[in-house]
Amino acid sequence: MNKLILAAAAAALAMLASGANAQAVRIATEGAYAPWNFLDEAGKPAGLDVDVGTEACKRAALDCTFQVNAWDSIIPNLVAGNYDVIIAGMSVTDERKASIDFTDEYFPPDPARYMVRAGTVLDFDNLSGKNIGVQGGTIHAAYATEHFGASNTVKSFDNADQALADLNAGNVDVILADGNYITEVVAGSGGALEKVGPELVIGGGVAMGLRKADDELEGKLNAALAEMKKDGTLDALIIKWFPDKVGPIYAGG
Amino acid sequence: MNEFLAPILHDIGLMARPALFNLYFAVASIPLGFLFAIFFALGKASPNRLISGFCRGYIYAFRGSPFFIQLFMFYSLALAFNLSLWKPWGIDWFVLNPLVLGPVILTLNTTAYTAEIFYGALMTVPKGEIEAARAYGMSGAQQFRSVIWPHLIRLAWPAYTNEVVFLFHATALIYFTLPVIGDQKDLMNIAGELFERDYNAVLHFSVAALYFLAISLAIFLVFGIVYRRLTRHMPGASRVRWSFSRL
Amino acid sequence: MLDFLPQWMKDGIGDDLLFWLGYFTNGKHLSWYASVQYTLAAALFGALVALLLGLGGAAARNSRFLPLRALGALYINIVRGVPDVLFFLFFPLAFEQLVEWIRAQSVCTPETLAANVGRWPPCDAANWFLGTPEYLALACVSLGIVYGAFAANVIHGAMNAVPRGQLEAARAYGFSATQVLWRFHIRQMWVYALPGLSNVWLLLVKATSLLSLLQIADIVLWADRLGSPNFTRSAGLVHPDWRWGYYLVLLVFYILITFISEKVFAAITRWASRGMATAGGAAA
Repeated sequence: MNKLILAAAAAALAMLASGANAQAVRIATEGAYAPWNFLDEAGKPAGLDVDVGTEACKRAALDCTFQVNAWDSIIPNLVAGNYDVIIAGMSVTDERKASIDFTDEYFPPDPARYMVRAGTVLDFDNLSGKNIGVQGGTIHAAYATEHFGASNTVKSFDNADQALADLNAGNVDVILADGNYITEVVAGSGGALEKVGPELVIGGGVAMGLRKADDELEGKLNAALAEMKKDGTLDALIIKWFPDKVGPIYAGG
Repeated sequence: MNEFLAPILHDIGLMARPALFNLYFAVASIPLGFLFAIFFALGKASPNRLISGFCRGYIYAFRGSPFFIQLFMFYSLALAFNLSLWKPWGIDWFVLNPLVLGPVILTLNTTAYTAEIFYGALMTVPKGEIEAARAYGMSGAQQFRSVIWPHLIRLAWPAYTNEVVFLFHATALIYFTLPVIGDQKDLMNIAGELFERDYNAVLHFSVAALYFLAISLAIFLVFGIVYRRLTRHMPGASRVRWSFSRL
Repeated sequence: MLDFLPQWMKDGIGDDLLFWLGYFTNGKHLSWYASVQYTLAAALFGALVALLLGLGGAAARNSRFLPLRALGALYINIVRGVPDVLFFLFFPLAFEQLVEWIRAQSVCTPETLAANVGRWPPCDAANWFLGTPEYLALACVSLGIVYGAFAANVIHGAMNAVPRGQLEAARAYGFSATQVLWRFHIRQMWVYALPGLSNVWLLLVKATSLLSLLQIADIVLWADRLGSPNFTRSAGLVHPDWRWGYYLVLLVFYILITFISEKVFAAITRWASRGMATAGGAAA
């Protein structure tokens, strides 16, 4: 505990000292949604969100630190001021815009997809009596509840990994989630899982979330993102984490 | 309606249905937990080393670890056997349903706490009474029914009352770990959701606390009445007291 | 991680075992092991606060001043009438809002207040940042308040269990009221309170499993992240759901803490009851 207090004091001092030349910005991510964001083998946040955030901070001369926050409280804790930016694979929606602001997108709108255990055949036009797994508080959870809630069971989980565990164990029949995430998971599952069904366009692009009052920070991050889009850095990062994506996505535009 | 009371009454209305879920979890796990606890208490006192060792170990493990982690562990354990056991047997919809699995884990937990209470009471049954019963030629079951049990339950009842209140409080943890299905939400879910809407922590959490307090008091009331019936023939029997210490 | 081992030792261990040794000592696992510090800190400092509040609550409960007595009874009964997790979540939120509200009185201008209507904090300048150290401190205090109520109940009972004759004798010898309280009443109270306090400590230790609910990266959060299935090759070792194994480790960890605590309390009880005319003291 003494060490902890010392460490905290040292961190505070370091922040004061660095505050002189670079603005300190705290970034929250979820850390349970690979390859968007996860905790790597070293125990540090990693993934596309972390790479994009780190690069944007570098260009905007911001002193950024990442921290992990559970998905269900990630917006309330931003609004309450426990960190300054959310970078967590979050889609822009009107409902979220009511409580927070978003930067320009760093990932284009992309259809949601379904994921099942290999061999499962589902009639997506008349889905009924099925267990549908979603992550609570996502656009997919809202969509599933609205469209399938009446004749199916919608199970919401705290994070995507938990929903995946239940799919794998046969406790949910199908997961509705972000298409790129599903592509990566299916590729790594060794044939155990399949991507199936129609493409559903339900969300906007993916962007960083900020408090409504932080216009200055929003401007800095937008400028950095624009630069990254133009010189191809962002495309390279996207393709690094989602090898199935084909460029150019933003470059040259 | 004045400005102070209106939001409180509104919250009380919103939380009535969620409170039923907490109540359901408690009610669904009390009877079986009570029954199993008797066997585990007798098992712990058994002269058979194997039986007493098993019961002792079970009680120690469940009382020595947090219910929160028991929930996590038994959920993922139940999940691990889904494809090999529950699905082929056709009972997966039942076993993995939070409304079943929640009470099952709660029962495992309260069995251990209740068994320890019963065991403690069992140890105080006067040897003379048992010997007298044996001298009358009573069988083991008869001895238990007519001598040991009446003594045990009277002695254990106040502590058991506390355990039931604790068990009710423990239901608040269930939906922090098990998946939430549709609008099956408990008091903690709703208090959290309402808080995230308007950040009024004091209002929403206080009303949720009010529900827990009121139901805890109701438990004391009902169990107190039972206690008076249990001890009505005894001179100067005391009342169940609001003592709340989980034994 | 294990690169420092000499080659002959690596050959002896074998590739499989070496792989697992490496896996269980990677940064993610080391972070898990290190996060025990939060659990232990919350338990120890929470217990300290609980003991202080327990003494205060019991003193209030025994007070001759009626409002104080009522306050003590209210604290003891209300806090114990609600689940610990509810108070554990509520207190940090409410305390943060209180601090921000007080701060808002001086730092907010009418314009910034108007811009933030319907949101919290009242204005951005009043915001109090909560990171892990702040949350940990608040967690200790909430644990302290909740289990302080239990401790107060135990201590209140123990104070009443001290034989009246002992205190009367002390008064007869001319000790002042304060001296009687500290040198006789509280000194002898411990023996009667220890079994109950041991129980409260065990409850408090088990409640430290809730830290992750306050966004503290504690042993429970890391166990979840380590055990969760991973099918994304770029995110490290691909593996199915291993969570129950990790939770089992946590279960064993808490059972061990319980075991050690019981041994320590047994030793303290033996020490505290030396020279006392109780069954424990006579036996020792």
